[in-house]
Amino acid sequence: MSEPFEPKIVAFVCTYCTYAGADLAGTSRLKYAPNVRTIRLPCTGRISPMFILKALQKGADGVLVSGCHPGDCHFTHGNYHARRRWMVFRSLLDFIGIPPERVKYSWISAAEGVKFAELINSVTEDIRKLGPFDQYKELIEETEAEATH
Amino acid sequence: MTKILFTDKLHNCVEKWQSAGLTVIGPVQKANSSSYATVKNAGELDFNMVLPDRSIKELFFPQTEPILHYSIKKQEINTRESLPPNEPRIIFGARACDASGLAIDDPLFGWDYKDEYWFQRRNESVIVTIACTKADDFCMCTSLTLAPDSTKGSDVLLRPLENNKGWQVEELTERGREAFAKIADFLQESSEPAAPLAVVEEKFDLDSCVAWLKNPENFDSKFWKEISMRCIGCASCTFLCPTCHCFDIQDEGDTYSGIRRKNWDSCSFSLFTMHTSGHNPRSTQSARWRQRIMHKFNYFPGKFSVNSCSGCGRCSRQCPVDMGITETLQEISKLSQ
Amino acid sequence: MITQEQYRTRVKELLSSGTVKMVIGYKPGSTPDRRRPLFIRTAEEANRLVLDSACITNLSGYLVTEGLLSDEKKVAIFLRPEGIRSINILAAESQLNADQIIILGFDSTGSVVKTLDGTHAGDFSELLGSIKQNSPVKPSEVLFEQVEQMTPAERFAFWQEEFSRCIKCYACRQACPMCYCRRCIVDSNQPQWVNTSSHTLGNFEWNIVRAFHLAGRCVECGNCGRACPVNIPLRLINRRMAQEVIEAFDHFPGLNQTQEPVLASFKKDDSETFIL
Repeated sequence: MSEPFEPKIVAFVCTYCTYAGADLAGTSRLKYAPNVRTIRLPCTGRISPMFILKALQKGADGVLVSGCHPGDCHFTHGNYHARRRWMVFRSLLDFIGIPPERVKYSWISAAEGVKFAELINSVTEDIRKLGPFDQYKELIEETEAEATH
Repeated sequence: MTKILFTDKLHNCVEKWQSAGLTVIGPVQKANSSSYATVKNAGELDFNMVLPDRSIKELFFPQTEPILHYSIKKQEINTRESLPPNEPRIIFGARACDASGLAIDDPLFGWDYKDEYWFQRRNESVIVTIACTKADDFCMCTSLTLAPDSTKGSDVLLRPLENNKGWQVEELTERGREAFAKIADFLQESSEPAAPLAVVEEKFDLDSCVAWLKNPENFDSKFWKEISMRCIGCASCTFLCPTCHCFDIQDEGDTYSGIRRKNWDSCSFSLFTMHTSGHNPRSTQSARWRQRIMHKFNYFPGKFSVNSCSGCGRCSRQCPVDMGITETLQEISKLSQ
Repeated sequence: MITQEQYRTRVKELLSSGTVKMVIGYKPGSTPDRRRPLFIRTAEEANRLVLDSACITNLSGYLVTEGLLSDEKKVAIFLRPEGIRSINILAAESQLNADQIIILGFDSTGSVVKTLDGTHAGDFSELLGSIKQNSPVKPSEVLFEQVEQMTPAERFAFWQEEFSRCIKCYACRQACPMCYCRRCIVDSNQPQWVNTSSHTLGNFEWNIVRAFHLAGRCVECGNCGRACPVNIPLRLINRRMAQEVIEAFDHFPGLNQTQEPVLASFKKDDSETFIL
């Protein structure tokens, strides 16, 4: 039997809330799927859509973007800006054929260690069900190929 | 009596060439855009277009291609060159302007460093040109001392028959003869007359233009600014041009591994000449357009004794703001009178 | 023809009185159906102007040419309603002072050209408001509908086919009045955010970035799609983005000069149904 598919997921998180939430999950000894690579940023407002695209381009099967709940932003409104941006970016990805299910968004506070662990598990399960992002990977392989005619 | 290839035999010819190991390439119309592309059978070829939107150059000098793979470990650096595979091919249905464009670029790719990528593909390609029986408002081969049936750069020239049922075959090179020997069974001797060639009116007087461009006083003429005011600085003219050949080397990857690629570049971009210091010797779009014209009709012929333009007209045909070499040289013709 | 004559007279007045230093309009192109941008500085040149239904290009991008408006003198320009919206956005984004722009507004139905009343961008707010009201929520184009109906995998394959033709000539960017960045993200190389290579992967990246930078700013003038030498249907993506911002945020780009850029502003109660 072949190995079950283990998705690669990149999480872009804000340092003040979700990263602290992830920390809490860790110090609380909560167990969650090891499929996520976390990248810490100052604020969700700093998460350029380019990051999401870059992650897919480097072979991620899914992306998670997470930050402070509305009203909790350390910079008062970074997450409000991010929310609008995601709204539009999501529909753009959808229209281009990048399934919106592969890019997830969430609010996780520093106190929500349990939510973090549960979310990682459910996101991992969702992406596992979707399978590897073969269409994008084909494009990546094409760029790595040798010269052709 | 001349050798004729009848259209209804083209299927057989394509199959024959393919079974002899040749990749068959030709004009293809696909999704609202046309280019020279590999075909599985003769039915995919489209000979009705005046010429494909994209020039033949991409078959020899692709828009992007890997030249080197690298990986770096603690103690070692590995590199691996990437050369195009050996793949003999026949390009059936090239246009005279496109084929000439390749011949124009040959000395450029070989004068100093012999570009393996270019010459390997050149040596492996048989170019079968079909003389044009129709032209559009932008065709200008005749202004460049070429013609709808120029043989420059071609291995075989085909002249469409008047009844549109085939082509008269004129083998020009050994390579062309070899390729057509493979399909000798499908060729017939016949006396069918060829259709009249497309009439391409001469749009400007090349000699007087070149003389004007060579006059150093005109380098700073205010003409350049006027003619290029509406230029928006995209690379559509240079990228579609069969003779524009500038490229950039880019490393894609990271500190540990990646690929060095050769990508088309264009003198229309301001970044083309931008120095690291921020200084840009060609700081305005008019300087960049002047460079393109000067390069094609002054510097290039100065070095290789041939103008770097084969008159396909793509630069004018596809320009978003209706500029192009034709208009510029027409205006220069007026100035030089 | 009447409109053309009317405007030639107006241009002569503007130039001879010294009200404007330059007029940006159209002149005949290399074929009967083409028009070229024209820049004139003297009243005598006004007769070179043409104005008819073939004048389609949105000329407003020329206004942000480096140095053109820095002497604070005025420039007159022929614009359709989309062009006027571009001026509003450029003003809202502090790229130009709309008071410096004299608008020679026009529009056409079929081959009939009509003038639009007004001189400055602000004079057209009523017209633009009514265009917003009457703009179809659902687009009428068949291809757009088809793409919408596809499964994500089919849509991906559709765009893969389209983007594989992209040669990264950046005609779409250069033709767009909203792409005025002195240094585009694709030209930033430390780090090199967007691959310069025009392989399909890089082309996806470029076209997504382009569309996103224009989301909520695009007036759908169509300059990009017409400029594309390989005919990629860029208008579909722009349409989708326009639809999204009007549905989600009731934002119609270019209504007036005080409009906040939709992605640089927010409401506390913006929809967030997709956030876990």
